[in-house]
Amino acid sequence: MIRIDVKVPQQDFRLSVSWKTGERTLGVFGHSGAGKSTLLETLAGLRRGASGVIEVDGQVWLDSSRGLDLPPEKRGVGYVPQEMLLYPHRDVMGNLRAGSRRAALRAAATRIDERRVLEVLELGPLTRRDIASLSGGEKQRVALGRALLSGPQLLLLDEPLASLDLPLRRRILPYLVRVSDEFGIPTIYVSHDATEVRVLSSEVLVLSAGSVVAIGPPDDVFTADTVLPMARAEGFENVLRGRVVEIDDATALVEIEPGLSLRVAGHGLELAHEVAVGLRAEDLLLSVARPTGLSAQNILAGTIDEIRHPDQAVGGGEVLVMVALGRGHARAVVSITRQALGQLELAPSRPVHIIFKTQACRVLATRRSRRV
Amino acid sequence: MSAPHLDVLIPLLLSLKVAFCATCLVLPPGVLLGYLLARRDFPGKSIVETLAYLPLVLPPTAVGYLLLRALARGGPLGPSSLGFDLDLLLTWKGAAVASSIMALPLVARTARGAFEQVDPRLEAMARTLGSRRLRAFCEVTLPLARKGLAAAAVLGFGRALGEFGATVIVAGNIPGRTQTLALAIFNDIQTGREDEALLLVGLTAGLAFAAVWASELLLRRKTAK
Repeated sequence: MIRIDVKVPQQDFRLSVSWKTGERTLGVFGHSGAGKSTLLETLAGLRRGASGVIEVDGQVWLDSSRGLDLPPEKRGVGYVPQEMLLYPHRDVMGNLRAGSRRAALRAAATRIDERRVLEVLELGPLTRRDIASLSGGEKQRVALGRALLSGPQLLLLDEPLASLDLPLRRRILPYLVRVSDEFGIPTIYVSHDATEVRVLSSEVLVLSAGSVVAIGPPDDVFTADTVLPMARAEGFENVLRGRVVEIDDATALVEIEPGLSLRVAGHGLELAHEVAVGLRAEDLLLSVARPTGLSAQNILAGTIDEIRHPDQAVGGGEVLVMVALGRGHARAVVSITRQALGQLELAPSRPVHIIFKTQACRVLATRRSRRV
Repeated sequence: MSAPHLDVLIPLLLSLKVAFCATCLVLPPGVLLGYLLARRDFPGKSIVETLAYLPLVLPPTAVGYLLLRALARGGPLGPSSLGFDLDLLLTWKGAAVASSIMALPLVARTARGAFEQVDPRLEAMARTLGSRRLRAFCEVTLPLARKGLAAAAVLGFGRALGEFGATVIVAGNIPGRTQTLALAIFNDIQTGREDEALLLVGLTAGLAFAAVWASELLLRRKTAK
């Protein structure tokens, strides 16, 4: 269990976070300057002047009422800052083993095997390389490996994908998913990218100007009225999770629940893979009757849950329609215009269909099914 | 004919010994001072900074005289205050101490520059990986600053090698015992032994050239990497 109840004075505002959770993959979302990095530095023990309590799996790192404030070296964090901060004077292996002394002390508790880390992060061929010769993605994997091999009790990842370009992000994201699957270390993942946070976390905290705006399961948090406008800056992206149940030459069928499945572009996918599929709210069409004669491969039946006008205050014409799909566990947000809302006479609890092309589905992350 | 060669050899060896010992003496405080000035904020920092750089601008004879007063009977570092004799007055050890004080500003400044080029967050990183403060310094900051620190040592050595003013006051100018190259040159000029003076000047110039060149080389390699 992780308990964070801290106040950190800042130059322009005060960071104040109260978070108690039993979840293991935690996301922190917010715009830049919201205090996300400050929170991680506070957890790592790199920020003096924090007051309150930090407790990780029964170990107290900070309790200012008792005058307890463990220095960074006693906290057992695997910290990966945004700049990665690899040691330029050591090669890849020298970096990976930088925290091995502590790992050896905690070996019984952590059981993280060097060979396994090299394998999961595909670092084997890089071990003798110079840090300066690595690409951005390689550096990111080395920084992650170094953190893992220090025998951490808590992983702190600060925007691990922010410095990478788009294709590279999509290559690194699966490594992050694998790390959390393989090693089961509690992880706090910080990002200003809503979709990444949703793919990687089972619980999300949203920060704005140092204060907590929302805490909860990602799907609830990112459709909350307070968070939706923040996450919508780059367009809202739905994340649906399912299992590959069928593969043909170019596409794969992903089952979200019995009777509800999507057809996605299939390269790189294998049968029984568990995948997270991204669908942008503006790429979805809404129909009140089941359409026929369309080339689009995905037509999902659902019921309108709720209709929101997130930017009515600023005179925007966009309307967000929340649709409960299938049995109602999965939800999708569809962005339409106010005109369309009027023409279709949409209202809560009205049955609708959402329609999208195979190409609109973005496979965000894959993991091998644990049941295989 | 062997006599003049020996005459040259004795001050040369003495100079090397004095400069080497002065470098060893000045490195720990110089490096520590450089680190503190580069990394820490503390009350009175600018005063400490100014005091440390003072030997750079004060006439060496003034520094030598202050040291002489301190070491003299009744001075704060004299035999009657300490209860024992440091045995620095009129000895080569005194020359080494005087040279090390004169070299301190140069060493501290160069060390400070070397530390300033190392990202302090790397040391913070090392601490999150389980290293205590001192170990983190030895694992990260020291190796990354090593070329700049080596340059600081070479510059300190060079400064000590050429030291004259403070040395002559504390250690005197005793041939064979405290007469370093710089003092021997002065002596030769005073006594009209122009050829010997020129030979010693050439020798000193060679050593100084080597020292400065080596430090430049070390510093340049650091920026190249």
